[in-house]
Amino acid sequence: MKKKLLATILSGAMAVTMLTGCNVQTTEQAGEAPAAAPAAAESTDAGTAADAGTAEAPAAEEAPAAEASDGNSSDSLTGNGDKTIRVFLYMQEHEKEVYKKLVEDFVAEHSDEIKEVVFEITTQDEYNQKMIANMTAGDLPDIFYVGPSAVRSYVDNGYVLPLDDYIDSSTLESVWGTAQSIYRYDGANIGSGNVYALPKDLSCFAFAYNQDLFDEAGLEYPDPEKPYTYDEFVEVCQKLTIDKDGDGEIDQWGVANADQFGMTPFLYSNGVKFLSDDMTKVNVANNPQLAEALTFYTDLTKNGLTPSVEQDTALGGYQRWLDGQVAFYACGTWDVAAFMDDATFPYNWNLCGWPVGPSGDGRSHTWMGSVGYCVSSQTQSPELCAELIARLSTDPDGQRAVSGIIGGNSIQLPNITDMAYGEFRDAVADGTVPYASNVDVIFGYFDGNDHYEAALQETDYTYNAEWFTPFWSGVFNIKNGDISVQDFLTQVEPEMQAALDEAIELQNSATN
Amino acid sequence: MKPKVKEKIRLSAMAKREERWGLLFVAPPLIGFALFMAYPIIFAVIASMSKWTGMNSLWGNMVGLQNYGKILTDLKFWKSMGTTVIYMIGIPIGMILGMLIAMALNRKLPLKRALTTMYYVPVVSSLVAVAILWAWVFNYDYGLLNSIIKGLTGMHGPNWLGDAAMVKISMIIFMVWKGLGGTIILYLAGLQNIPRDYYEAAEIDGANGWHKFKNITLPLLSPVTFYVLITSLIGGFQVFVEVQVMTPNGGPNYSSATVVFYLFEKAFSNGQLGYGCAVAVLLAIIIFIITAINFKGQNKWVQTVE
Repeated sequence: MKKKLLATILSGAMAVTMLTGCNVQTTEQAGEAPAAAPAAAESTDAGTAADAGTAEAPAAEEAPAAEASDGNSSDSLTGNGDKTIRVFLYMQEHEKEVYKKLVEDFVAEHSDEIKEVVFEITTQDEYNQKMIANMTAGDLPDIFYVGPSAVRSYVDNGYVLPLDDYIDSSTLESVWGTAQSIYRYDGANIGSGNVYALPKDLSCFAFAYNQDLFDEAGLEYPDPEKPYTYDEFVEVCQKLTIDKDGDGEIDQWGVANADQFGMTPFLYSNGVKFLSDDMTKVNVANNPQLAEALTFYTDLTKNGLTPSVEQDTALGGYQRWLDGQVAFYACGTWDVAAFMDDATFPYNWNLCGWPVGPSGDGRSHTWMGSVGYCVSSQTQSPELCAELIARLSTDPDGQRAVSGIIGGNSIQLPNITDMAYGEFRDAVADGTVPYASNVDVIFGYFDGNDHYEAALQETDYTYNAEWFTPFWSGVFNIKNGDISVQDFLTQVEPEMQAALDEAIELQNSATN
Repeated sequence: MKPKVKEKIRLSAMAKREERWGLLFVAPPLIGFALFMAYPIIFAVIASMSKWTGMNSLWGNMVGLQNYGKILTDLKFWKSMGTTVIYMIGIPIGMILGMLIAMALNRKLPLKRALTTMYYVPVVSSLVAVAILWAWVFNYDYGLLNSIIKGLTGMHGPNWLGDAAMVKISMIIFMVWKGLGGTIILYLAGLQNIPRDYYEAAEIDGANGWHKFKNITLPLLSPVTFYVLITSLIGGFQVFVEVQVMTPNGGPNYSSATVVFYLFEKAFSNGQLGYGCAVAVLLAIIIFIITAINFKGQNKWVQTVE
């Protein structure tokens, strides 16, 4: 009897462990659970809700080539003091050089205080998993990243230190206004209260056009001072959608859109909000602004001004843009360097605003993203850590290096507003930094003006982004003509609301 | 009730020493099991009863069986479960094909080894790599399959991965292709274990090819069939990588997502680790029940050579 029980337990255990494996069975391993188990971890690369830097996600997805090395490194920089600081971040290889230099200088300046700074770098893919492991083990680094979407849970769970007492106001005020407010949290709302991080970068999702295609069609370039209206945009796209080789099939389109990232700017520019102001209710079924904007957006495909849904599954918009098949495409600030590279994108191009809908505030809207440096609440040396992150975030030479004012390799825009409008703009104008000349479009989005405005995505304010998934992943059914806009909106709302309720519940449980 | 008397066996000093050595030898696998299997399993079961997010406190957010209750009415879970079961159509297809090819290979063929190796290559290839490869084979405009179809018929082929119904067929094709080599090898070994005398005796009695297949080959291969069935079913419930690679968002309208894909998405994309654990535990229970039913039912059809 005992043996039988044991056998049952063991076989039960075997079944459980087998499911952690994710392989289709091969004959060798099917019989042995242990062999299958470790496979689960290796095949994944998704971020979590505690995602730092959601804005960079599309870049990672679209990047044509991954980095060759595995991207992990750990450097130990030592001084003569007694304080140890552990820094844990993700960044690309060329960024690492810049920031490591800053840390080295910092250690040299404070060598009487610092015993060691461990500068540990990993990849964006692995960062979240490693951070969760650190949190679970109760072993937080002293300095790490927090994204706007994670500020709330990090603060609620007591992981990060309020920086107000350690950072002088002039440092804080030197960075973009938006980059200051998105890291403030008062225990209930983002945007006010104590500041919990300094920006590593600020990015946004602007719009770009292929100048060569405009020249071929004999069209005037878009005005960076005045974004198109919906109607003007359709008109231009119609002129740019052509059958180039005369075989009866369209091979150049006005625009291509990726529903997950490239749809919301069209909608936001018509004043669309998916959620109520307190982020608790989904508002899509009875939302005339959304219905209008979504009709406009899906009609672009229905009327053949974008590649069809089928064509889109064969080759994504990003590839078609690189191939010169579409005249307009989204351009994140992180894309600029690739588009400036002739080997990647052998066309002339420039930035412009997303088209403006009739029912919004008349401005072109887009979403932006950021990731920030924060200091652990458990750190032994809060002053030093705060000083170090201020250095990483706003050191003028560091900012010159990462923005390309020095070296010409622009990884991001300067965090310091004055430098962006001054040195950086000059460097773009005189060609030191290879950059789209309409860089003011991006500054407009960052700062907000008469024509431009940007905000974080609403998913950045909720515990996770699951509530938005049914929306963006279902829109292709409208483009295909399988469902009408209004039916879709009516149908999708309950599903979105259920996921949002779940997210709110998790948010509250995280606070407990 | 009789009091239990522990029987003491006196061991000699040498036997005791041997026993200690014995314990030492079994310790590594036992510790390994406790650390890497027993502990995670127990942890998963506990976490499945919580709203654990990876960041909050596990014990502070216990909710009992709430997660399980939610799963029962979770449409996405049932959709992905349905898809997982549909994918299992590939199991009998793979078994029939595997058996046929194994029988074809189980004779004197000039290139037998080369052929066997070729069929086995997908099995030893990295799943991620071949899935990426097949994503291109299935590509709507530029794929190998549709290029062939266009060349032969002049018509555009189907949207293999972009159509809600088609994507399931594509996945089944891929899984059959990937698993076929393993099935063939097993059947081949099974075939070679069937004593030739049986066929000779049957021939003397006037049996034709079909008789021999039906009454000798098939029954005597039944242990292999049983093994392939069990392992394929268990594996079938765990399909993940090919879905993740070929349709990173779970396919159009979530039509290619499997249970494990859903579980992964819940746990690691949406930060619902507790819920993900509940799905995992439920899946384990389902696998366990189905495997148990299979073992129970095997007496009816699995023949063993005594």
